[in-house]
Amino acid sequence: MLAETLSQAVQENLLPARLQMAFTLGFHIILACLGVGLPVLMLAAEWRFLKTGDELWRTLAKRWSKAFAVMFAVGAVSGTVLSFELGLLWPEFMGQWGAVIGMPFTMEGFAFFIEAIFAGIYLYGWNKLPPKVHWFTGFPVAISGFFSAFFVVTANSWMNAPAGFDLVDGKPVNIDPLAAMFNVATGAQTAHMLVAAYIVTGFVVAAFYAIPVMKRKSDYDKRAFGLALMLALPMVPIQMAVGDWSAKVVAKSQPVKLAAMEGQFKTERRAPLRIGGIPDEVARETKYAIEIPGALSFLSFSDFNAEVKGLDDFPREVTPPVAVVHFAFQVMVGIGGFMMAVAVWTLVSFMKTKTWPQSKWFYLSILSLGPLSVMAMEAGWIVTEVGRQPWIVQGYMRTTEAVTSAPGLWNVFGITLAIYAVIGTATVVVLRQLARVPLEEHRDGTP
Amino acid sequence: MGPHDLLLCVMLLALTLYAILGGADFGAGVWEFTTALQSTRKERRHIYKAIGPVWEANHVWLIFVLVILMNGFPIAFAALGKALWFPLLLALAGIVFRGASYVFRSYGRGTETERTLWEVVFAIASTATPLFLGAAAGTVAVGRLAETTTLTGWMTSLSVFTGFYAVGMCAYLAAIYLTREAHIAGDAELLILWRKRSLSTGLWVGILSFAGLAMVWIEAPTLADGFVHRGWPLILISLTCGIGSLIETSRGNTTRAVLAASGAVAAVIWGWGVSQYPVLLPPDMTALDAKAPDNVLWMMLAVITLGTVLLFPALAYLFVLFKSESETSS
Repeated sequence: MLAETLSQAVQENLLPARLQMAFTLGFHIILACLGVGLPVLMLAAEWRFLKTGDELWRTLAKRWSKAFAVMFAVGAVSGTVLSFELGLLWPEFMGQWGAVIGMPFTMEGFAFFIEAIFAGIYLYGWNKLPPKVHWFTGFPVAISGFFSAFFVVTANSWMNAPAGFDLVDGKPVNIDPLAAMFNVATGAQTAHMLVAAYIVTGFVVAAFYAIPVMKRKSDYDKRAFGLALMLALPMVPIQMAVGDWSAKVVAKSQPVKLAAMEGQFKTERRAPLRIGGIPDEVARETKYAIEIPGALSFLSFSDFNAEVKGLDDFPREVTPPVAVVHFAFQVMVGIGGFMMAVAVWTLVSFMKTKTWPQSKWFYLSILSLGPLSVMAMEAGWIVTEVGRQPWIVQGYMRTTEAVTSAPGLWNVFGITLAIYAVIGTATVVVLRQLARVPLEEHRDGTP
Repeated sequence: MGPHDLLLCVMLLALTLYAILGGADFGAGVWEFTTALQSTRKERRHIYKAIGPVWEANHVWLIFVLVILMNGFPIAFAALGKALWFPLLLALAGIVFRGASYVFRSYGRGTETERTLWEVVFAIASTATPLFLGAAAGTVAVGRLAETTTLTGWMTSLSVFTGFYAVGMCAYLAAIYLTREAHIAGDAELLILWRKRSLSTGLWVGILSFAGLAMVWIEAPTLADGFVHRGWPLILISLTCGIGSLIETSRGNTTRAVLAASGAVAAVIWGWGVSQYPVLLPPDMTALDAKAPDNVLWMMLAVITLGTVLLFPALAYLFVLFKSESETSS
């Protein structure tokens, strides 16, 4: 009787718990990206100031550092929510696997600590430290931001490609935390996320200045725009290569996820790459897609004749929802393609005129890439998380086995939405207020 | 004595530092909450200036406690997540609003009303967070975790008490710390104000501590037994430090008062830990039951040792830069 009500509670909790996790993670990850990327821009601007003595560069670095301060604080508290949620929403997952998966979190604790300490020093040290020393105190912020992201994503890659333990009587034994951290998915997934963080930061910042630069407002806006583009654009071709690597890893370690991403229902040789299309889970085929013959086989296994496993080869109860995964994947790849086109355009223009394209369409493209880059990153997370369902630990633990049986999760989710709406809106309002302050006012140094 | 004991010590140390440093930051907000109707702009500026550069680093001690539990004692982490989900969610809401409102208030350039709004949110959230974290700690001490499947099942009279006790402790720490800040800033008016507040809160929290011991006696007999057999020296240390902090405050040795007050709070936490040992989550989950395999724990200890080599110089730099006495009122 008790077991029955418990399992019913678990069934009812699965959806709100997943929505809660997805929403709070999706919110945090935007701030996390900017927390990783913005320090690089700050450091670059401050470096130009140290080199040239031009106060405008210093002003730019200072203003970015204020935006960083706001986003870092909101990122820190929303990240705290996530670490609590691991225990509050998924207690069985942490109880069973905490010993295996915990090491990167311990390491991340230190990375986050160093980041918080030096963020405090950098933000409040503008007038206290000699210029060069101040610049140096920004480096630990950028470096530990990078490592924070790296450590956290290794934990996620383990959920996709579990390693570093033996299962005896349903319990993990012979645990090797390093083997768990550095599993087959780690390299591609961490690289994919870190490059994404720099791309998102670059485009979000560039989008912010696109319209002022188009209207030829000031030297200040131009410098900010140019620096942000220099961060984002070179990363785009790198991300293409890393994305390709990532797909090859998924093809090997999670073939069912690959099949869902591509809407591949039947196992076949010379599998086509589908662009667009609507997967029909009843008819077991993906309709209306543009198909490039053999391209999926080639991209997955570097061989046009390689066999790609289809969804029909897996038991129905272990396949993820195909439509969501396929659609999210198309969104990510589509936006990536657009980014690549803009990057090539900029390169061509740069070789001819030593500057970015001056056309209105270029500025509008960059403006759109601000939100679009965030969307691509979120879509990527949907692919990796929904694509792993029904597993929380691929092949070892189902998400239903991990969820809490606590009551009232829908209410918690509703309240969380309300709180995050307030915090999210306020963050944007405060950032806009910061941006509207006249340039001179920033010279006084008060935070 | 295995690696889990060493790790327990590290965790208790992190918890202590969170209670002292994070507690003083929360306490500053508690003072804003309790003096909302009478505080001047100058007094509020004093508070915000004091916690500005350090609150985020101080917050990380909580994350640190959390990751040690998650990685080193995963079964305890899961049990806490299941049993304390309601008070912990409330504490989380407090953490989110406290941090966010602080930066919104500091960096926002909006109207006076907006600024006041965030000050109010900051004050309420700073009070709510220690209240719920303290209450959760009380539930752990009583050993009621197994029975908390309902919304209010975690509540006991001890957890209500520890909630308010935690708030009081934060207020006491903050008053002592802010007295020192006023002293460093050379502001006689603020110095008198905060000295008065330190003495009265110190006295009240001291009296509450004895009430707390009485409640532990009634509600958590096993813990009380631990206090009688092992924890009692720490009660004496806490009492001595507490009285010492008040004497030093009234004599004007504000730095010594800060050290003594920190010692008083640290002794309360270690007293709890020592009296409860080897039980991690009462009534009967010991550290040995909840721990990860030894090789994982040794590796954690290695990571923590290496990390500390990086961490402590950085922390020292932060505090010397912003909290040392030579850094006069700049």
